[in-house]
Amino acid sequence: MDTILFPARQSTAKESLAAYRGRGGYEALSAIVDAQAPARVIEEVQAAGLRGRGGAAFPTGTKLELTAKAQAEQKFVVANGGEDEPGSFKDRILMEHHPHLILEGVTLCALAVGATKGYLYVNRTYAAAQASLAAAMQEAAGKAYLGRGILGSAFSFELELFRAPTPYVAGEDTAALEVLEGKDPVPREKPPYPVQAGLFGKPTLVSNIETMANIPRIVLRGAAWFRGFGTAQSPGTMIFCLGEEVRRPGAYELPLGTPLRQLIDGCGGGLRDGKAIKAILPGGPSTAFLPATCLDTPLDHQAMRDAGSILGCGVMELIPVGRCMLEEALKHAGFFAAESCGACPACRMETSTFQTLLRQIKEGKGTPMLLDQFDKVAAFNRGKGRCSLIAMAAAPVLSAVRHFRGDFEHHLAHGTCPPG
Amino acid sequence: MEGRRYLLVCRNIDCRGRGSDELMAAIKKGLDERGVEDIEVKEYMCFGACHEAPNIVLHPSRHWYAAVKPGDVKAILDHLCGGPAVERLMNKIDPTHREFIFQLLDAGLF
Ligand SMILES: Cc1cc2nc3c(=O)[nH]c(=O)nc-3n(C[C@H](O)[C@H](O)[C@H](O)COP(=O)(O)O)c2cc1C
Ligand code: FES
Repeated sequence: MDTILFPARQSTAKESLAAYRGRGGYEALSAIVDAQAPARVIEEVQAAGLRGRGGAAFPTGTKLELTAKAQAEQKFVVANGGEDEPGSFKDRILMEHHPHLILEGVTLCALAVGATKGYLYVNRTYAAAQASLAAAMQEAAGKAYLGRGILGSAFSFELELFRAPTPYVAGEDTAALEVLEGKDPVPREKPPYPVQAGLFGKPTLVSNIETMANIPRIVLRGAAWFRGFGTAQSPGTMIFCLGEEVRRPGAYELPLGTPLRQLIDGCGGGLRDGKAIKAILPGGPSTAFLPATCLDTPLDHQAMRDAGSILGCGVMELIPVGRCMLEEALKHAGFFAAESCGACPACRMETSTFQTLLRQIKEGKGTPMLLDQFDKVAAFNRGKGRCSLIAMAAAPVLSAVRHFRGDFEHHLAHGTCPPG
Repeated sequence: MEGRRYLLVCRNIDCRGRGSDELMAAIKKGLDERGVEDIEVKEYMCFGACHEAPNIVLHPSRHWYAAVKPGDVKAILDHLCGGPAVERLMNKIDPTHREFIFQLLDAGLF
């Protein structure tokens, strides 16, 4: 078996409770609840070295431990299935096809941190995922995997399905907490972090759907088994999304450390019309472009960082030769200018300045000096703002200018895209 | 556009919250009344100096007026018509920050 999350033989049908149990489903929960050993979840996840799959790659064991240690009468867990990253659909696939894997993962997290109430925060456009989760929740409650006195133990956990709004920032963890409290999706000032004071001021674990889906497998099979996948620094697997630009679009679970080229060619079958690749956006719109010379970079956190980008949430966007990188940068700049929630002046300044700069360059208005302004604008705003959208918006723009300066210079000189 | 002057008024959240719309209207009106035609009054997305809002920058002469109040409009108009720069509104912003914005303007971003 060479996957952790998807069954050995993957299908597009919903995995039934029986099928999930057939591959060890709910055995981790039974073992931990019976032995009254919630701390084992944390120990095992820490030893496994699991890092968050929601974009920031924060060590999940640390987050579990901090939430578990926080002293409070009530705690919460939130499974983040907001998935507003354009091009990403891995959380949707997991929720739609493997709802019990998610339920067991969330419940184990709740047990580990001492939460009695949890939320499945699911993108409101994901009707099938919601239906699948709702049906699975009923089944699970019927078998005492959820609800009062789980599997006859003293542990009770109530789980609620919540339809999440779709603005981009609504997936940011503290914005999601605001939404769950009935407010607008605006990120909070940090600290305090959710693990200290989250939902209604109580310690709250917010983790991505895919992250939580790893937990039943880690607890059942153990950290050493999990570390049999991936690299020492980036253990485990990750689901990568390939879009319509490749011959076989889809969500592919691969061990971390797999070369980028294997994902694109081996899984995706290469670009549709056999074109060569000009640039890669390896982790979604909020990551830095890599030039085609990086096609052999291993898909692991450190190697990607060394190459100048990040894995983000695993949405791979491929730009074919012939496409103008100024247009690509402008597309992303426009996205972030529109999605900046407007709460932080620095974020509005940066996102609108990038957009204006790129529009002027596109039309050939201005001097080559304009090309040197991007880094300065980003440096001026770095670290400001309540959420990391400021950093996200800078990544694709700065990298496009750095690696593909010629496209920008052509626009400045001629007001048109360079010849393909 | 040689010789053209610009008066740029920040229109981001803080500046608007502290009356940049009204300032812009008052300055435009004042320039009309005085028959000044070589100055274009334009809004600017943000000068990143929200703590000293509202902000007005003159380009290309590199004058930065910060924390401008309605009562300052006359002095600014006088400056634009050949009078002295309004010292009391200057030098409130960190010089590196000012230079960063002036370079953006010099590069043609406005
Ligand atoms: C603007 C913005 C949007 C985000 N959107 C999502 C999202 O849709 N889903 C998600 O899991 N995390 C999203 N995140 C990251 C979350 O804030 C948080 O780090 C994550 O849910 C934690 O889960 P993890 O530790 O399992 O990765 C977003 C962050 C930012 C700054
Ligand atoms: S809000 Fe005016 S300088 Fe930013």
